[in-house]
This record gives sequence, C-alpha cells and structure tokens, in this order.
Amino acid sequence: MSSFGFGLITAAVLAIATVGFTMQFAVTNVLNLAYGSVMINSAYVTYYLNIHHVTAWVALIGGVITGAVASWCLNRFIFTPFQRRNLAPITIVIVALGVDLVGTFGLQAIVGSSYVAFHQSAGNEYHFLGMILNGLQLIILAVCAAVLGLIHWLLKYTRLGKAMRATSANPNLARNSGVKTQFIISTTWLISGALCGLAGTVFAMNTGVFEATSAQLYIVLLLAAMFLGGPGEPYGAMLGALIIGLSTEISAAYINPQYKEVIAFVVLLGMLAFRPYGIFGSEKTL
Amino acid sequence: MPTAYAFYLTTILVYGAVDSMACLALNYEFGFAGVSNFGFIIFQAAGAYAAAILSMPRAATANGGFQQYVLGWNLPWPLPWIGAAIVGGVVALPFVFLVGKRLRGDFAAVGLLVSAVLLNELVKDYVPFLNGAAGVSIVPAPFQSKWDPQGLGYQFAYGGVAIVLTIAVYYLLRRVTESPYGRSLRAMRDNDIVADSLGKNLRKQRAGVLVLGGALAALSGAILVGFISLWAPGAWGYAETIVLFAAIIVGGAGNHKGAILGAILVPLAFEEITRFIPPVANPTLIPALQWVAIGLLIILFLWFRPNGILPERRRLLSTGPALNTVEVVPDDGDSDALIKLGNVDQLNFRELLHLDNTVNDNRVILSTTGLSKSFNGVTVVSDVSIEIHQGKLTGMIGPNGAGKSTTLAMLAGTLRGSSGTIFYDGEDITSMPSFKRAQAGLVRTFQLASEFKKLTVLENLVSAIPKQSGDSFTGSLRGKRFWGSEDKANIERAEEVLEGFGLSQYADTYAGGLSGGQRRLVEIMRALLAEPKVLLLDEPMAGVHPNLAHKIGDQLTKMCESGMTILMVEHELSIMDAFCDPVIVLAEGMVLATGTMAELRKRPEVVEAYLVG
Repeated sequence: MSSFGFGLITAAVLAIATVGFTMQFAVTNVLNLAYGSVMINSAYVTYYLNIHHVTAWVALIGGVITGAVASWCLNRFIFTPFQRRNLAPITIVIVALGVDLVGTFGLQAIVGSSYVAFHQSAGNEYHFLGMILNGLQLIILAVCAAVLGLIHWLLKYTRLGKAMRATSANPNLARNSGVKTQFIISTTWLISGALCGLAGTVFAMNTGVFEATSAQLYIVLLLAAMFLGGPGEPYGAMLGALIIGLSTEISAAYINPQYKEVIAFVVLLGMLAFRPYGIFGSEKTL
Repeated sequence: MPTAYAFYLTTILVYGAVDSMACLALNYEFGFAGVSNFGFIIFQAAGAYAAAILSMPRAATANGGFQQYVLGWNLPWPLPWIGAAIVGGVVALPFVFLVGKRLRGDFAAVGLLVSAVLLNELVKDYVPFLNGAAGVSIVPAPFQSKWDPQGLGYQFAYGGVAIVLTIAVYYLLRRVTESPYGRSLRAMRDNDIVADSLGKNLRKQRAGVLVLGGALAALSGAILVGFISLWAPGAWGYAETIVLFAAIIVGGAGNHKGAILGAILVPLAFEEITRFIPPVANPTLIPALQWVAIGLLIILFLWFRPNGILPERRRLLSTGPALNTVEVVPDDGDSDALIKLGNVDQLNFRELLHLDNTVNDNRVILSTTGLSKSFNGVTVVSDVSIEIHQGKLTGMIGPNGAGKSTTLAMLAGTLRGSSGTIFYDGEDITSMPSFKRAQAGLVRTFQLASEFKKLTVLENLVSAIPKQSGDSFTGSLRGKRFWGSEDKANIERAEEVLEGFGLSQYADTYAGGLSGGQRRLVEIMRALLAEPKVLLLDEPMAGVHPNLAHKIGDQLTKMCESGMTILMVEHELSIMDAFCDPVIVLAEGMVLATGTMAELRKRPEVVEAYLVG
C-alpha cells in the first residue's frame, strides 16, 4: 500500500504537468517538447528564492510566474512565428527540441551540474489506510488537488474556459464566431505555463535533490499520460496521469525499480501504435 | 609532434566518414522520404554493439571475463560489419508499426524518440546483455593480429576504408533517390495521404526506407567501434540524434552533398573545435554550451535558411522548351482566367488513359449498400446506397455537411466506413486499403490543395503513373539502364497531357508555386495519369474561374465517352446542369434523391434541402 501513496504523489504532480502540456497542444497543435526545460528552470527560480531565505511555499509563486512568462514568450516569439510560415508539425517539434537544448543546457551552463535541494523539512510522517506520507507530500497532494479543481472550474464554468475549448476544437470556427482566438491562445499559454512552473517546482521538491537535466526524461511520462487520455484532452490528461503515476510506482514494488518507467514507455508506444487519439477519443479529434 | 598531428588527422578522417555516413542515411529517411526518425541513434548503436560482440571472443574467456555480453563469436573482418548492417536493418522492422500510414508524422517521431530513450535505459540497466552502463570495451580492431592498430599506416588505411565506404553509400543512395522510386519517396514526403490515394504503398515504402537507413546507420556504428574499440550507452543518448538532425538542417535536407557538408560542419567541427578551448573551472560548462549551440543552430537555421546551405535540387525533366526559370507564379486571382487549355481536343484519352479495352456498357461499376460513418457518436453518413454506372459522369450535390466528401473518402478508402459495403467492378472492396483501390483503378482527388509541393509539375504527373519498373527499391538499384527508357516514355506521355492542358511552360516549376486554378489542373492531370477506371473528383472546380471550369467539364465529358467513369462532388449547380447525369443529392448524410438536374429541380424536398439547409 505504501507504493500506492508514492504513486498518488507521482500522479498528482504528473497530472498538473500533463494538463498544462495537453492544453498547449489543444490550442496550438504543438507538441512542446521544451516543456521539461521550462519545468526545471522554474524549479531553479524557486530554489534560488528559497536559498535566499524565502520560504519554499512562497518561493513557489516565483516558479509559477517563471513558468507562465517563459511559456508565453516561447509561444509568442518562437512557435507562433514558425507556425505562421505553415510549416509541417514535425518542423515545429524539431524547433521545440532545439529550444529544449537551449533551455536545459543554458541553465546547466549557469548553475553547473551539482545536485541541489530545497531548504525545508519533509515534516512529520502520517500513517493512514496503510499509506505512509510525510507532511510535504500531503501538502503537494493538497496543492495539486486544489489546482486541478481550479482548472475544472475554469474549463467548465467560465467564459474563458469555454472559449479555450472552442479554440481547441476548431480555431477557425471559433474565430468566426467571435472568439478572440489570439488572446485565448496567449492566455492558455500563460495558464498552462503556470501549471508547468508549478509542476516543475513540486516535481523537484518531491524528488529531493535535482540538477539541470533532471526533468529531461520527465517528458516521456508526460507524453505517456497525454496519449493515454487523448492528446488535447485536459480531463483525459488527469486520468492518464493517474494511471501512469500509479502503475509506475506500484509496478516498482514488484519488479526491479530500475525498470519502473518501462511501463510508461510501453503504454506510450502501445497508444501511439493502436489508439493515438486516446482510450476514449475518436479519430476525428486529431 | 608531426606524428601526433598525423594521428589526429586519422581520427578526423574516421569521424568525418562515420558522421557523413550517418547523416547520409538520416537524410535519406528524413530529407527524401519524410520519415522523421528521432530514434536514429538506436540504429547506429545497434550496429556498433553488433560489430563489437560479433568480433569479440566469448565473454567468459575474454580478459578474465570482466565484462558480460551475449554472442562473442570472434568473427574475422568483414563479417562483423556485414552482421552489423543486417542487425541495423532487422532492428528497423518493429518500428514500421509506428511510421505506418495512420499516424501523424510528429507523433511517430515522438514514438521513435521515446524508443531511443527506453532502449538506452534498458541496455544500461540490464548488464548481462551488453555490459550495462560501462559498455563493451577492448573491441578488436580488424586484422589486429596481423597489423598493429596503433600504427600510423594502419590508422590511415582504416580512415581510407571508412571514406571509400562512405563514398559508396553516397552513390548507392543517389542511385535510389534519383529513380522513379525516389520520386515516389519524395511524393510521400510532401503529402502522404495523397501519395496513398495514387496507389503508393506507404507502409512498404517507409519500411524499406527504415531498413536501408537503419542498415547504413549500423554500418557507420560498426566502423566507429572498430576504431575507438569501446561502446557504451553514454555514447548514444537520444540527444545525439538531434545533433544529426541539426547537421542535416544546416547542410540541406534532401541533398546528399548537403548531408555530408552538415556532417562536417556540425558533429565533426563541434567536437573538434572544443578540443582547443582551454579548460575552465566548471567542467560541464563547455559541453553544456555545445548543446546550447546545437539548439540555437537548429532554431536559427530553420528560421533564416530553412532549406540549408545546399538546398534540394530541382529536377528538370522536361524535354521541351519549358521555362526552367519560372519558380513561382503570382496568384493574383486573374491568372486562372488566362489559362487556355492547349490542344486538349486532340488528346486521345482512350490511348492516354490506357482505356483501350474498355467498352461503354453502362453496367454498375461502383456501388454501395448501407454505407454509414459516424465520428464520436455523431453520424455523418447514414445508410447510403448508390450505384455508379460505367461511362457516366455522375454528380453529387448537397448542402455543407451533407456527407459528400466523407462518402467520397469512403469510396476511395481514405476513410473506413462504420458499416455498409462497397462493391467495385463486381468485387467487395469494403476492407481493401486505399492504395490497392487506386492500383485497381479507383482514383480520387482532394478538395484541398494536394499537390506535391517540392516536386515539379512534371514530376507530380509522372509520379502517378502506375506499374513503373523503376518504382521499387530493387528496380531503383538496377539503375537507369533498367528503367531509363520506360521513364522517358512516361515523361513524354505526361508532357503530352501537360501540353493538352496548356501548362507546358510550367513543366519544371515546383507545383507548390502555381496559382490556385493551375494547381487544380495539375491535380486532375495527375489523377488521369494514375490511369483510373473510375475517377472520384472532390470539388474539382472550387476556386477555378468559370470559363476554365466549363472547359474542364467538356474534357471530363469526353473522357467518359472514351470509357472512363466519373463521380464528381461539386457545389456549382451550373456545372451539374451542363455536364452531370445523373445527379445524386445528399442531405444530412442520406441520399435524398437521384435523377437528372431537370428532374431534381422539380422536387420540392431537394430544392428546400439545398437552398434552406
């Protein structure tokens, strides 16, 4: 049962990250493979605020803002100009990979390659339902649940959320129906970027120690969760993250933990091969 | 010191050859065939490992068994290199399921990227297979029992062999890409769905590309491992593939010389220049900045020089006085009105379209029963049963969203129906893939522009001609002597059609540079050269000047008289009035009525559906 607790934490962080990633894909049709580099840069901003005597939970806001601003800039100054040239989606993906290299290794060039950790205690341990969670993990769970609830409220009950969903379903139709799609896309990148920054920071907190390239492989879990739930589907992303997070951690209890990510890889390749539009999606949504 | 320089030079030669071979192979996949193999490094790694363990002695006996690995066959050169190439080709096969027809290019690329990460992790973690993260070392150099691998003469000879093999790869790939098969690969790269609809077997083409590219990548890995004598997971992180992509983007995708130039400029120069930077306090600073530079190189080149330093060559096929200098035709809207169909009235469609044995007998050649399609629970086409008669120009009209294009796509096999059956020429083709339908003579065109942009107009046309003997991998290997004369005849046939439609002067222009109306014409001509028995046209007149539309209509009528059958989806009622009989009316996914336009105009439900709906 203790692995279930770990799985829940992994899933919660992954859900935040995947929802942001999938929202970017939904409104701009970009597989933003630079997502991991924005995550880790945000984590580092939080870290620097933290070692300059800002409490981690306050410093977190710095990370969230970093993620939001960086993602907005990425879309505004890189992806949008390239997309205006009507390039194939693959070209944009290659550009994103280039951005990822610049973001990750630019950070490494500045901060070096030694591991760092936040200045905060993990808090007391709590036992319930057979799970052992510490205070930090409980807070992470609470924050993630609150943010996911907020996203649900945004998408379901606000004009902005409806406009986002309309833009994602059919940008041309949305524009012709009076939706300011450019504004919606920008806002989506701000919000999804904030999620990215939050996810990066809590990912780093949960990992304990981290360095500039720590998030590089995280993109695989992200992609697995996204394709499981269907690309561009925020609710699918939450479900996908839950399944991937739990299955990787629970499987780690039974097989060699070194192979625990294999299940995510296998899920991703299987989804790509047989149902690239997700378990519940249909082919028209692509 | 001069000897040190000489040894350094041999290293440069070997690395240059290895990088060039890898870039040639990746460029073949990405630049020519449009297969974005983000897992390319897997194949180089597989080749290096295969060559290593084939040439090494059994693990238990070698050096006191300090490393673990499988095989250990102790084979003499060149068997390990040949074995490596075979392994590279075989490793490609499981990836065919990812690059198969139905997956978006960027999704497939992500799948390959993830595979590279996964395999690297597995090899690292599972030590008994290939000695885990430490990798295999003390790999024997070829002939090391006879010659000293550390000798300068040996090292120069090694570099020489590597360069000769790279040159051989260059000529091999050029032979393949400059054949009709290469043309089909580039057509697939520019628009895979359209290539499929013209009878190209995408899965087979992509499998062939991955296998050959994989074998060559593996060979490059084998050459490398024989020289450096060790190979470990650290050498083939997924990001190494990005370096090779950067090389191709810088050098010029779709140009073999560009690939070699890129290999010299990016992987080779980047590695070598940093050797001369004095050490700094932070040991990861230089490698980190190297990666930043690779990233910037990709972004800046794709923005400022997307075709690379040596862009892809335009292939000039025309034998006539084509205006080779015409690059782009300004699309000012009026240019369509100026298009004069050439001597199209003299074209003998029976001969041109190979309809010689066709008899106009008005039999049912294409029919559906209960054809339906729903997306996400929304029914778009519902229970459509139609019959298309041979030799008729049948029209299909209906309001927006009536399911016309979906029906046509199901007939052509671009979309699979949810239920119902389709019969073509007496055969149930419901589950036949679209390229096979095209090969059987059921050819479609598309509503949206669908030219192969970076093929010339003439190449667009010739690429559609079926049963070309040079349009297979083996055919292309047999060289121009094998397929040249047939290709010349095909080019002349295409030129004849082009002249008939009055576009000869654009024969050698990139199709992507034509005006809207001209592109529609190219598409129709290309579909004709696919030798259809039944031609499915999806709004061929959309965006075409009315004068031109009626000229095209006249020709379509003539083709039907020659024995062809046409089903045409069209919005323009005047076209229906003038040319189509019978006309099928679809509304809300169902067949509303069938008859001549005159009959249909008298039926109130048709008028209402079409005018109100």
